[in-house]
Amino acid sequence: MSHAFLDGYKPLYFSTTEWAFIRAACARLIPSEGEGPGALEARVPVFIDTQMAGDFGKASDWYMLGPHEPGANPLLGFQSPLTPAQIYRQSIALVDEWCTEQKGKAFAELGPDLQDEVLRDLQARKMPLKAELRDFFVLLLQNTKEGYFADPIYGGNYRMAAWKYIGFPGARGAYLEWANDKGAPYPLGPVSISGDRG
Amino acid sequence: MRALVRIIGGLIVLVIVILLGLMLMPMHRTAAVTNLPAGYEPPAGAGERVAIAADCAACHTAPGGKPFAGGRVVETPIGRIYASNITPDRKTGIGNYTLDDFRAALYDGLRRDGVHLYPAMPYPSYRKMTEEDVRALYGYFMNELAPVEASVPETRLAFPFNQRWGIRLWDWASLPPAGFRPYMRSAKLDRGAYLVEALAHCGSCHTPRNGLTFAEKGYESRSADFLTGGVIGAWPAPDLRARDSAAQRWSDEQLAALLASGRNETAGVSGEMALAVEHSLQHLPKSDMEAIVSYLKAIKQDRPIADASAPRSTPAPTAQQLASASPQLGLGARLYLDNCNACHFATGKGAKNVFPNLDGNAVVTAKQPGGLISLILNGDAIPSTSERPERLVMPGFGWRLNDDEVAALATFVRQSWSNAAPAVTTADVAKLRGAVNTTPW
Amino acid sequence: MARRQKKTDVVIVGLGWTGSILGIELANAGLKVLALERGADRDMIQNLAYPKMIDELKYGVRHGLMLRPADSTVTIRHSLRDTALPYRSLGSFLPGNGVGGAGVHWNGHTWRALPEELRLKTYVLEKFGASVIPAGMTIEDWGVTYEELEPHFERFEYVCGISGRAGNLGGSTQAGGNPFEGPRKRDYPLPPLPTLLNGKIFGDAAKAMGYHPFPLPAANLSDAYTNEYGMQLGPCNFCGFCERFGCIGYSKSSPQTCILGALKRKSNFSYQTRSEVLRVELASDRRTATGVTYIDEKGEEIFQPADLVILAAYQFHNVHLLLLSGIGRPYVAETGEGVVGKNYAYQMTGGTSLFFKDLNFNPFVGAGSSAMVIDNFSVGQIDFGKEGFIGGSYISSGQFNGQPIRSMALPSGTPTWGAGWKKGIRDWYGHSMSIGSHGSNMSYRDCYLDLDPTYRNKHGQPMLRMTFDWKPNDIRMTQFMRSKVESIAKFLNPTSWVSGYKGDSSHYDVRPYQTTHTVGGAIMGIDPTKSAVNRYLQTWDVHNVFVMGASAFPQNLQYNPTGTVGALAYWSAHAIKHDYLRNPRPLA
Repeated sequence: MSHAFLDGYKPLYFSTTEWAFIRAACARLIPSEGEGPGALEARVPVFIDTQMAGDFGKASDWYMLGPHEPGANPLLGFQSPLTPAQIYRQSIALVDEWCTEQKGKAFAELGPDLQDEVLRDLQARKMPLKAELRDFFVLLLQNTKEGYFADPIYGGNYRMAAWKYIGFPGARGAYLEWANDKGAPYPLGPVSISGDRG
Repeated sequence: MRALVRIIGGLIVLVIVILLGLMLMPMHRTAAVTNLPAGYEPPAGAGERVAIAADCAACHTAPGGKPFAGGRVVETPIGRIYASNITPDRKTGIGNYTLDDFRAALYDGLRRDGVHLYPAMPYPSYRKMTEEDVRALYGYFMNELAPVEASVPETRLAFPFNQRWGIRLWDWASLPPAGFRPYMRSAKLDRGAYLVEALAHCGSCHTPRNGLTFAEKGYESRSADFLTGGVIGAWPAPDLRARDSAAQRWSDEQLAALLASGRNETAGVSGEMALAVEHSLQHLPKSDMEAIVSYLKAIKQDRPIADASAPRSTPAPTAQQLASASPQLGLGARLYLDNCNACHFATGKGAKNVFPNLDGNAVVTAKQPGGLISLILNGDAIPSTSERPERLVMPGFGWRLNDDEVAALATFVRQSWSNAAPAVTTADVAKLRGAVNTTPW
Repeated sequence: MARRQKKTDVVIVGLGWTGSILGIELANAGLKVLALERGADRDMIQNLAYPKMIDELKYGVRHGLMLRPADSTVTIRHSLRDTALPYRSLGSFLPGNGVGGAGVHWNGHTWRALPEELRLKTYVLEKFGASVIPAGMTIEDWGVTYEELEPHFERFEYVCGISGRAGNLGGSTQAGGNPFEGPRKRDYPLPPLPTLLNGKIFGDAAKAMGYHPFPLPAANLSDAYTNEYGMQLGPCNFCGFCERFGCIGYSKSSPQTCILGALKRKSNFSYQTRSEVLRVELASDRRTATGVTYIDEKGEEIFQPADLVILAAYQFHNVHLLLLSGIGRPYVAETGEGVVGKNYAYQMTGGTSLFFKDLNFNPFVGAGSSAMVIDNFSVGQIDFGKEGFIGGSYISSGQFNGQPIRSMALPSGTPTWGAGWKKGIRDWYGHSMSIGSHGSNMSYRDCYLDLDPTYRNKHGQPMLRMTFDWKPNDIRMTQFMRSKVESIAKFLNPTSWVSGYKGDSSHYDVRPYQTTHTVGGAIMGIDPTKSAVNRYLQTWDVHNVFVMGASAFPQNLQYNPTGTVGALAYWSAHAIKHDYLRNPRPLA
C-alpha cells in the first residue's frame, strides 16, 4: 500500500530511522488489512510525531523533579526521569539495536511476523529495556490508539476514518432526540471539531 | 448600502435649498418648555434615574473605558462617529456647559460652540424630555459625576457629510416639537409613552426612517409608523406594534421579562438591544417597566407584521427530519445538527428562558437577514442582569463555516418549522463576514 | 517579606463548589469576601464552548481541566514501611483546577449520605456489636445527623436543579424512587432524565429479581430551570462529554451555572485567580488566624489579612494547608495520636461489562448521570455480622459517554492490538453496557496523610504524603457486590461479559482512573482528640478557620460525595451566619 503523504511528511521530532520505526510499529499495532483503516491510513504516525514535539512529549504537565526511582513498584505509576519523547528516542534505538543483533535487521526492515514477535516481547517485558524505559510499549500503544481516535485536528484519524469505522459521530455532541431506550442504530456519520463532515 | 444611496440622493435633491436658505437660517436654541420656580431642586437621585432611563452610558462609555468619558465608536452608514466625553471636565468634557447649553444639546443637537451634533445622538427623542428631567440630568452630570479628562477623537466624515451645517435643514425638516404633552388615557400610559418616546429613545432603532432624509417616520404613537420596525446596520429592530409581532403576542409578564432581564420563555435579546438591557432597562424601577409594557400593549395595531415573513399555514416536518439524523438530509439540515441542535434542538424551540426559540423568532424570520447571519458568524450574549444573572452566550461559528455553509444554514432555519422567510445568499454572508456590527442613528 | 493587602472580612481558599457556596452565603450576609483561586478563570463560553470542548484527547485523555502534577501533587505509598513516590502523572484520581474546581468537570451524581452512614460507628456498635469492627479500622460518627442535614441537602439539590425521583417522602415510600434513602421533605426539583436502553434493560432485570431500581439523582438537568439565585440551566442534550469536560449547554449544575454569575455581580465579593495560598497565618496565641499568605500571578508573596478564613480547596489541599499552617495536631500513625491527616479513605468500585451482539446502545448518547440504580445492598441494608464486612455499594448501569479512546470495552480474550483488536472494536463498539458497584471505603489507622520527608513542591514546601492500601474488609465488600452484579449479568444473558473487581491480592494501583472521591484527613466529629474540625466544620483549635469539603468525611460514603459536600457547606454557612458572626468563638 502506498502512503505518499507519510513518505512526504517531514517529522517534527523523529529522525529518519525513528520515523521508519514508528511507521512500521504503527502498521502492526493497527494493521491496514481487513475492514477499516489501519494506523497508516489514519496517519497515526503524524499524530505521534506531533505529540512528541509538543507538551505531551515534553511531560510539561507532569511532576518531573527527583529523586527518581524508575525501578519502583509499577503500581506507583510513572517514575522515570525521562520524558515520553526521550523514552521513545532511547527505546527505539535500543529496540533497533536488539533487532539488528537478534534478527539481523532494524525493526522497520523485518517482516510483519517478526515485527509482531518483537512487539509481543516488548509488551511482555521480555526485551531488556532499562527501568527508565519500561513504559515505552504502554506509551506507544496508547499513543497509537489516541492518534487513531482523536479529532483530526491532531494529525491522525485522517478524514475521521476511524470514527466512521466504528460508528462514533465525533464532535456533534447533540443527541437529545436519541436519548431513549429504543435501541435503533444511529445512522449519521461524524463531524469533526473544525466542521468536516463524514 | 441602499440607505447610503438614499441619503446621498436626498441631499443632492435639496442642495439648492441648502445653499440658499440654510446659510442664512438662524441657529435656533429651544427654550425651556416649563418655567420652573426659582430655586427649583430636582429630587435626590432623579438625575441618575434619568441618565439610566435615557441610556446615556451605552454610547458615552467606551468598552472598558471610564463611565461617560466618551470614545465609543458608533459605526454608521456614513462613517465613524465618536461619542463625546460628557463628564464635567472643563477641557475635554462638558464642564463649561450652562443649563441652556446642556438643553440645546439634548433638544437641538447643538454643541456649546454651535456646531451641530450628528443625529446619532438621539436628540429628536430627548427633545421630548421634561424640563424637570433636563434639570435633574444636568445636575447629575455637573455635580454627581467626577470630571474625567479624556479627549475623544474628532469625528471626520467624508464630504458631504462633513458639512455639518447641512444638519440644520435636517433639523428643520425632521424635529418634532419640544417637550412632552400627555396624550394617553391614563397617567401610567403617559409615563410609558414618555419613557419609550423620550428617554429610552426606542424609536431610534424600532421606527422606520424615511427615504429622503433618513429621519424617523414618527416620534410618538399617534404616528402610524412609530415603532413598526427599523434596521440597525445589518440587524432588524423588530416591529413592536403589529398584532402578530412578538411584543404583542407575549403576555405582559413575558414582555417585561425580556426587557428587564434580557430573556423570556421564548427569546433572548441580541445585538444593540443587549446593550440597552445591560445598561438601562434592567435598572428601571418596576413601576416604570410596568408603564412601558402597558404602553406598548396599548399601541398595538390590528395589522399583520410588516418586517418579517408570515408563518406557514402548516408547519414543516422539520423536527422529525432532524430527529431522524438521516445521512440523506440536505446541507442546511446537516449543518443545523452539527452546530445548532445541541442547544436549540430538533424542534427549534430551545429551552424556556435559556435557549431562544427559533420557530417564529423575529430575528430569524426578519426580512433583513443580517441579524441572523451575524449571530451565526459571531455569536452573541444575553447580558447578566440583576434578576437573571447568568450571562448566556452563544458561541460564533464563523471560524467553522464558510459563506456557503452559513447561507445554507441560515436559509434552513428561516424556512423550517413554521418559518417561511426568503433564502439567504452567499453574498449576503460575505458582506457581513468580518464586519463590525453597524449601529445606526 | 510578604506585601500586606487591605483587610477583608472573609478570605476563601479555592473557588469551586464549596468556595462559591460560602462566598454567596457570606456575601449575602453583608460580609466583604475575597476568594483566592490557584488556577485559571473559567467562564462558560470562552473556556467551555461548543464544539471545541468536544475534544476527547485534550480534556478526556490529556486532562485539560485538571490540576497539573507539575504545579501540585502528592506522594503515595502503600504502607508505613514503604518510601512514598510522587504521583507524577494523573491516573487514579483527577483533582480539578481553576474557577469552578471539580464542579466544572464532574459527572453530576448527586446523592445524600444515608442516615446510617452519618452515625456509622454508633450504628455498627448498636446493631452488630464491637466484634464486627476489625482491628485497625478507625470509623467514626460524623457528629451531625441526617435530620440536621436534611434541609441543607434539599437546599443544595434545589440550587443545582437535580433531576431525580424521591423514594422516601417524609417516611412514605414512593414508587420508582430509592426506598432505602433517608426521608426527604420535598421531591427533587426536576423529574428524572430519560432512560437509555442500558438503563431499561438493567431496571427490568433488577425488578424481575426483586430489587428496586430508580434513576440516579442527576446534576444533568432534565428541563430548563431557574434557581434561588436567579441562575438558569437548560436541559441536558446527552452530548456524551460530561465527566472531565465543561458542559457546553448550561445543563450541568456547576458553580458557573448555579452560583458564580450571581456572586460576581456583588460589589462585596471579589476573586483572584492564579493566586496560590501557601499557609494560614496565626495570631501569636495560635487561637485565631490573622489571614493567609499567598503567591499571586506574578510570583509575589502577599499577606491577606481576614477575620474569617474558609478553606475550600480540594480535600488533599485543605489537609496540606492545615499541616503547613500548624493548625491542629498532626496525626501520627505509629501512636494513633493527633488528628490532622487522620482517616484518609478512598472509594471501592468495581464493574462488569456485558456484550450483546444484537443490541445497539449508541454509547455516544450519554449523560454524566444517566443511570439506573439499585440500593438494595446499601450500608443500611447489609447484615455486617453475617457478611463479614462493614460497608455497602449502590449498583448501577450508566451510559456516560462513548468516547472511543477511553471507553472501548472489549470481550475478554480480545487482543490489545493488531488485527484482532481492530476487528474487536468494530464488532463490539456500541454493543456493550456496563453494570458497576460504587461503594464505601472504611478508614484505618494506617491510611492517612502527612508531610513527605523528601519531596517538595515548587514553593519549597514539603509535599503531602498519602499512605493507603486496600484492606480485606473492603475487598470482601466489593467481592460481595461482584456476586450481586454478576447474578444480574447472568440474568440478562449477554453474548459474553467481563468483570473487574479488587481481589485478595489487589494493592492500590495509581495508574488507572478509579475515582476522585478522596476523603478524610481533616475529619469532623464531636471529640477534639479524634477529629480535626467540629460538627460545624470549624477547626477545634483556631475558631476563625473553617474547612469545607470531603476532607471532613471520617470514612467514605458508598455514594459520590458532592451532594453531602454541598449540604455540609450550607450547614456550615448557616452556623457561621446565624451563630458565629454574632459572637465569634468555638461553636462546639
